[in-house]
Amino acid sequence: MAFLQWRRFNFFDKEPVKDPSTDQIFDQLKDVNVSACTSGRGQLVVADFEGNLYFINRQMELTSFRAYEIRVTHLLQMKQHSIIITIGEDEQGINPLIKVWNLEKMERGIPACTRLTRAIPGNKPTPVSCFTVHENLNFLAVGFENGVVLLFKGDVTRDRHSKPRTVYEGTKRVTGLAFKTQGKDVFLFVVTDNSTLSINLTAKDQQAELENKGATPGTIVMSDASQDNQLVIGRQDAVYFYQPDGRGPCLAFEGIKLQLHWFRGYLIIVGKESKTLPRAPVLGPHGMEMNTVTVYDIQNKFIAYSAPYPEVIDVMCESGSIFIFTGDRKFYQLQEKDTQSKLEMLFKKNNYALAISLAKSQQLDQDGLIDIFTQYGDHLYSKGDHDGAIDQYIKTIGKLEASYVIRKFLDAQRIHNLTKYLQALHKSQTATEEHTTLLLNCYTKLKDVSKLDEFIMTKDREVDFDVETAINVCRQSGYSEHALSLAEKHKKHESYLKIQLEDIKDYQRALEYIGKLDFEAAESNLKQYGKILMSQVPQQTTELLKRLCTDYKPTDKPLIDQSSLDGVLPLFASILLDSSGIGRIQKANAEEFIHIFVNNSARLTEFLEHMIEVQPNSSNLVYNTLLELYLHDMVHEKGISARVERERKTLELLKNPDANYDIDQALILCQMNNFKAGILFLYEKAHLYQQILRYHMEHREYVHVIEACKKFGQQDPQLWVQALSYFASKEENCKSQLMETLSHIDKKNLLPPLMVIQILAHNSTATLSVVKDYIVRRLQMENDQIAEDERLIKQYREDTEKKRSKIEELKTSAKVFQASKCNICSHSLELPSVHFLCEPHSYHQHCFESYAENDLECPVCAPENRKIMDIIRAQEQSKDIHEFFHNQLERAPDGFSVVADYFGRGVFNKVTLITDQGGKPSSSTTR
Amino acid sequence: MSYAYLFKYIIIGDTGVGKSCLLLQFTDKRFQPVHDLTIGVEFGARMITIDGKQIKLQIWDTAGQESFRSITRSYYRGAAGALLVYDITRRDTFNHLTTWLEDARQHSNSNMVIMLIGNKSDLEARREVKKEEGEAFAREHGLIFMETSAKTAANVEEAFINTAKEIYQKIQDGVFDINNEANGIKIGPQHSPANQNMPAGGSGGNQGGGCC
Repeated sequence: MAFLQWRRFNFFDKEPVKDPSTDQIFDQLKDVNVSACTSGRGQLVVADFEGNLYFINRQMELTSFRAYEIRVTHLLQMKQHSIIITIGEDEQGINPLIKVWNLEKMERGIPACTRLTRAIPGNKPTPVSCFTVHENLNFLAVGFENGVVLLFKGDVTRDRHSKPRTVYEGTKRVTGLAFKTQGKDVFLFVVTDNSTLSINLTAKDQQAELENKGATPGTIVMSDASQDNQLVIGRQDAVYFYQPDGRGPCLAFEGIKLQLHWFRGYLIIVGKESKTLPRAPVLGPHGMEMNTVTVYDIQNKFIAYSAPYPEVIDVMCESGSIFIFTGDRKFYQLQEKDTQSKLEMLFKKNNYALAISLAKSQQLDQDGLIDIFTQYGDHLYSKGDHDGAIDQYIKTIGKLEASYVIRKFLDAQRIHNLTKYLQALHKSQTATEEHTTLLLNCYTKLKDVSKLDEFIMTKDREVDFDVETAINVCRQSGYSEHALSLAEKHKKHESYLKIQLEDIKDYQRALEYIGKLDFEAAESNLKQYGKILMSQVPQQTTELLKRLCTDYKPTDKPLIDQSSLDGVLPLFASILLDSSGIGRIQKANAEEFIHIFVNNSARLTEFLEHMIEVQPNSSNLVYNTLLELYLHDMVHEKGISARVERERKTLELLKNPDANYDIDQALILCQMNNFKAGILFLYEKAHLYQQILRYHMEHREYVHVIEACKKFGQQDPQLWVQALSYFASKEENCKSQLMETLSHIDKKNLLPPLMVIQILAHNSTATLSVVKDYIVRRLQMENDQIAEDERLIKQYREDTEKKRSKIEELKTSAKVFQASKCNICSHSLELPSVHFLCEPHSYHQHCFESYAENDLECPVCAPENRKIMDIIRAQEQSKDIHEFFHNQLERAPDGFSVVADYFGRGVFNKVTLITDQGGKPSSSTTR
Repeated sequence: MSYAYLFKYIIIGDTGVGKSCLLLQFTDKRFQPVHDLTIGVEFGARMITIDGKQIKLQIWDTAGQESFRSITRSYYRGAAGALLVYDITRRDTFNHLTTWLEDARQHSNSNMVIMLIGNKSDLEARREVKKEEGEAFAREHGLIFMETSAKTAANVEEAFINTAKEIYQKIQDGVFDINNEANGIKIGPQHSPANQNMPAGGSGGNQGGGCC
């Protein structure tokens, strides 16, 4: 048989109330014949059958005044107003009188009585059995012994002459009245000895019978808002709750109930043990019957306090504690313990579930709750209930250090719990990398592939773990597939490839995966893994590389967006897209991938060939490498025909005008591989004719030497000179070549004859017959030249002499101007006229003025004079331009003549020419 | 929250079969492994939707203890539906069903829809009462049958909602007199065709009966 009661605790401290002034137990009311009690606004109020009201304030100071002549029967202190309403009698007989006291207004030392109303139902005076006042001070209901309920509407504090209304008329004594406001409606609960009903005062006093059972006086109370302001009635079998429209739940607390009180969510029941004990009822001091005061926490369902008291007169809830007024006129104060000590008591009894609900109802802060969860978890753990413990620990996530919990469960048997905790940790987004690692390790240790799947593969789930770590753990524990899908889902391309290549070794798929990536990712990954891929799947890798380096597009993307394929308008869009798409195509640099093809020259050749085909402007590295490959192939090719074919291909590449190879490097390559055709081509291309010549010389190919000279002599005449000295130095007979060379030198006048002789003199084989013709011809030529020069000198001297005599003549003799015509207009000369000494020339003055560029020069002679002046000036200037001189000297076939020319211009003359040449104008005016 | 109908349920059955847990699972969607004995009668409510109509379920969870029988009986009256619960791991709770059924039929109206619930279906290993036995009992007495688990929430929703559907169907068929509150059915405040004539408590909700 279960114990049919709630759990019992002691959450209140009982203490007899003492008089602070004497420190003795408060007993100032010991002779008072108490009729009613109330409390509110910090004070306890007691009425007696002599008509007195006693007030006890917080300091337990007693004051009193006489309110009625005969007695006070009922008493009510308003909670929100300093107003006390009493019912009592001033006259003998049944004559109940309602008085309303304003405690804030004192008149002659006693509170002001603001209202005095008789309470008589109809015309039959009847004792009042109970009354209640609405807190809004607008309703006052009085119940009578004869079953009538009178309602006074309007301000209760003032005398009103409106008649009270009878809202209920029953047959049995009214034992309890209570107001309840629900929305706009005001209900009055009426409880009689044999019925319970509610009256809607705002809806024409509509009555609703709630139960055909009533209650005894005192066993009716209104709960507070925590229990939805229900009417609570204590009957012997149970405590019932009522709403205005019907009965609510019930609590089966057995026993005779004397009083019901409500204190902050606690229901206080003063009761008598219903069980008839074999012996007489337990009597307290002075032969008083003992009552039981029990405090129930309705929300959390436990008994917060229970203790016997001698003949409880009343229980008053005031100033945050419960005052129990007992038959021996003593007060006992029940002080509620603070939440913490309550919780500790619960912890001691390991009643954590209750502690949690209590903490919640007391609005304990989050930290406090977490603390309870932790303790609860610890408790369950120590009891061995690991499943339960982990549930509690999960509630502490976010506050409690996760490692505390993890350490507790880090044991093979507890791995399920640990997993659960870690999952919760991830769900709450508080997991660290270590937690992810641990969780995944748990899964793998449990071999719980489905959970692992769920954790990893669940689509559209928020990622609440560190992907990197997860991938690593999966890899380490051999769940490559999981790691793979994780990597794929989270676009961890590197990890994906690493797994695919290193763990699974599915190169084909890895390659396909790369092909689907964006350009940048594909590029970098290929760089990284290209080598291994190349060694495993060369064919596909090469294909991918080709794509990557030309017009890469991820394979899973359609060429043209699907959207552009429907409708007419998108037609244009697709064209646009196409053109812009091409513009956006990214290409990788082929050279960066060359190293991948290590040991696979065939593929590399294929790749590079493709590259230069598609992209002729590839970088020189591409061409260099390709060239190298060709040469390499060529050298190692055994078959003659194949070799020829290769040579042809190589040469083709070299000759390709687009080929952007580095000539120097190509040359070295060719030389290394001894590829003659290539070498020569390259020399030619680089205009290294000397090299060509030297190459031929080295190989003693005289015919080629001559050919080369013929071919390139045009560009570099020095070739012949070299050829000459080469042939001259040759010991063997090469007379014909020497002759040919010599004739070319002669034809082009490349060397002074002295030099030719000198060169030939080195050679023992070169005979005079070889050069005889040449020398004779040269000497003849020189003689002719000398004769010509002498003739010129003679002519110049004569000219100079002529000029000198003319100057002299101008200086010394007079000049006659006898021209009759103007040299400009050819009309007969008239005055005024201008004459010049030069020819002489004569002009009309007006003609001269309109034609002459300046006054000093003869307009006819001026152009000729200027020409001469310019030549002189040019000669003067050019002598200072040294660079030009050197340049000229170098280029001139005969340097000596250049130097001589410069001497002629007066390079070393310090004298500057005086420019007053020609006729000075001697204008004369003849009349 | 306004509603079209309010159905009153009771949950009955031996002590410890999981009546309170079923209610807690249905109203709060949680499970409390350690649950105190119900002392008296407790109460829970939840809104459901049937046929597009909001229906408020007012559920009375009774104490299973024999000593509280007289109190709980007084709550049978005016219930439109009853969940008669037994524990599939305890045969005695199944054996007591007849007594409970008689009790319920005697103290409630004859139209009350009764659903037989075999609870704790998660404890398959400890099962003492076969599902077929429950089905047979239900067939024999004209009840609806379902096995549930308040712990895993399996079938809990269905148990309450199917009962409500059955009641709703009976209303549609005119079996229930919806104006008689003793049947455990109320029409919601704004749906009431004759609001003025309803008794004061009839409005039930907060907004009812605006006149004064």
